[in-house]
Amino acid sequence: MTATAQRPTRSEAAAARVSPPAPRRRKKRLLGPTLRTIAIMVVVLLFVLPLGWMLMAAFKTNLDIVTPSRTFDFTPTLDNFGTVFGAQNFAPFIVNSVVVGVGATIVALVLGVPAAYGIARFRIRNATAFVLLARVIPGVSLLIPWYFLFSQVQLVGTYTALILTHIFVTMPLVVAIMAGFFEGLPEELEEAAQIDGSSRVGAFVRVVLPLALPGVATSAILAFIFSWNNFLFALVLSNQETRTLPVAISNFTSYASVDWGGLMAASVIITVPVMLVALFAQRYVVAGLTAGATKG
Amino acid sequence: MIIRSRRNRRAALAAPLALALAAGLMACAGGGSSSSEKVTDLTLIAANSPWTEGLKTLATKYEDETGVKVNLEFYGNEQLNDTLKVKLNAQSSDFDIYGYQVQDVMREFSRNGWLADMTDYVKSDADWNWDDFQQSSRDAVTLDGVVYGVPVMTERHIMYYRSDLLEAAGIPVPTTLDELDAAAAKLNDPAKGFYGIAMRGSKVPLVTQFSSFLYSYGGDFQDKDGNASVDTPEAKDAYAFYGKLLKDYGPPGATNMGWPEASAIFAQGNAAFYLDADSQAYTFLDPASSAVVDTVAYGAFPAGPAGSHPYSIVPQTVGINEYSKKKDAAWEFIKWVTNEENSKTLLADDTVPSARDSSWADDAATASFPAGLVEIVRNSEGTVGHDRPQLEKVAQAREIVGAPAISAIEGGDVDSAADKANTDFQDLLDGEK
Repeated sequence: MTATAQRPTRSEAAAARVSPPAPRRRKKRLLGPTLRTIAIMVVVLLFVLPLGWMLMAAFKTNLDIVTPSRTFDFTPTLDNFGTVFGAQNFAPFIVNSVVVGVGATIVALVLGVPAAYGIARFRIRNATAFVLLARVIPGVSLLIPWYFLFSQVQLVGTYTALILTHIFVTMPLVVAIMAGFFEGLPEELEEAAQIDGSSRVGAFVRVVLPLALPGVATSAILAFIFSWNNFLFALVLSNQETRTLPVAISNFTSYASVDWGGLMAASVIITVPVMLVALFAQRYVVAGLTAGATKG
Repeated sequence: MIIRSRRNRRAALAAPLALALAAGLMACAGGGSSSSEKVTDLTLIAANSPWTEGLKTLATKYEDETGVKVNLEFYGNEQLNDTLKVKLNAQSSDFDIYGYQVQDVMREFSRNGWLADMTDYVKSDADWNWDDFQQSSRDAVTLDGVVYGVPVMTERHIMYYRSDLLEAAGIPVPTTLDELDAAAAKLNDPAKGFYGIAMRGSKVPLVTQFSSFLYSYGGDFQDKDGNASVDTPEAKDAYAFYGKLLKDYGPPGATNMGWPEASAIFAQGNAAFYLDADSQAYTFLDPASSAVVDTVAYGAFPAGPAGSHPYSIVPQTVGINEYSKKKDAAWEFIKWVTNEENSKTLLADDTVPSARDSSWADDAATASFPAGLVEIVRNSEGTVGHDRPQLEKVAQAREIVGAPAISAIEGGDVDSAADKANTDFQDLLDGEK
């Protein structure tokens, strides 16, 4: 999201072109940055508006939510969060989502990163494309066979089934991102390590992996977000005890009534961890870390 | 998510899987079923509703009384159907009892063999008294003489109105559709953001609420032989009238409104009338959701040229999974939870609109129900047991028969739209024969 927000829009780019680097008149010098700020604000507003609406709705009564005149003018209430943790008891669902999300991400990294390295270094042809096929197959078509298989081995409703199915998507993601990343890393670095007496594995662990940390962080975020937001697999393969947040959120819609306030409060609770993870991991997403590593 | 459930597809999926994996997996699965063992637990899955709320307490009570634990898994309505289709396609015995919407899925599920035949069960115990269930409810869960479930909720079309506004304007409560039209016209004040009437105007959601208008004009979606009949003069008049109400006295953007949007307008105090299901009454009585708590009143569906014929349907039914290995135990629980005593408890404590006549006859049980509503429920004369076309492809049919109403709301040519809808609907019906 942030990446999109930072990308200059067309008008911005045009504005940048009209404003020369060292203009004589002060007016002209200000024009570029002003337009740029406006453009950024418009884009940011577009992304923030739904989030802001969700946040406000989480603190409103149902009547205030559906009444347009009370969009900003309302008395905040914490009742909705009370419902989420009280009547609906969301705490276990949060635990479930964390267990499955972290599990699926870690396994995907442990298996996927070395696989990607192998694919990149030994030039296994079309392997990434083949691995990515997993992402092309619609998840729906896998549900019935998966459910059939997991129920035969009595794994329906367990974390194992959920993590395994999520790995099916998270691992190809990790492999695809990391393979590209490893290909971009200069092979000379490893050769240098090996000349100094390191084994191939040692070179991978001590030299390549630290340099590839931005890639690992990126793929880990994406993998975690996928797992955290996944609805379809958890819908069928979880039970009341292992239900994850995206499925549990449907608890707020009942026959002939929808608790919008509770729904929005739960949405806030679902969104916050993902944002925190993204912000935290972003520190590691530093492009150009290896730039200049083989110079001189 | 759409999973078309067809026997042949299920076979196509399951057969190769079974062949390929039988050796490995069947072995892993260990011993087969042991139906003779004493049942200690059951699993019930259903869509969230007042009934499932009440069930949480009753399930604990059942465990205390019998030692059988009933695991409950609740979903949103759409999610439930998706889950059911996947699990039943895989012939799952992981759950024993499930709630479903009769009109939406009973034809499909029973043809696929997913619903156990409960005809003998419901007639097995005279004390439990199957005949106490309303005739229309019993009919609703019966297909070709086979009973596929026990109705646990009922729902009727009623007229919500603002008693304060009608009183102030000196308008008597409308008892006919013409009077409703006149009253809505009089109270309509769009300049102030106030509208004569709020109803569903979105193509698919409106079909069920249009149905009562159709019946009260003397029409129906299908004739006695099951053929399409939405091009009759009665149907065309009903479409035109429904559209006129929303076009002349409805809120702007009506064609985008399902019940959540339309009911919100009434709840905000911005409409004089709201015609929809009685199951939404509690939304209007909750101060956190409604500004009309003290001024909302309930009236019977107004009479059309053919009388007052609102729908009275069964939105929630419980059936037994055909693949369950604990069918008898499942029936014992269903029988217990739907007996006279528990039906009354559910009505009194959780305002579950029971399908049993005995529940509604009990003043203590109905005390928690809004007074005006109880009268309407007790007087069920002339009601119709369905609120949508009767076929397997209900969703497609709703798209088709809802279209002429949109033409009417937008002021288009209703007659030709109804003719076209009838042709398309008949094609759809022919495809199922």
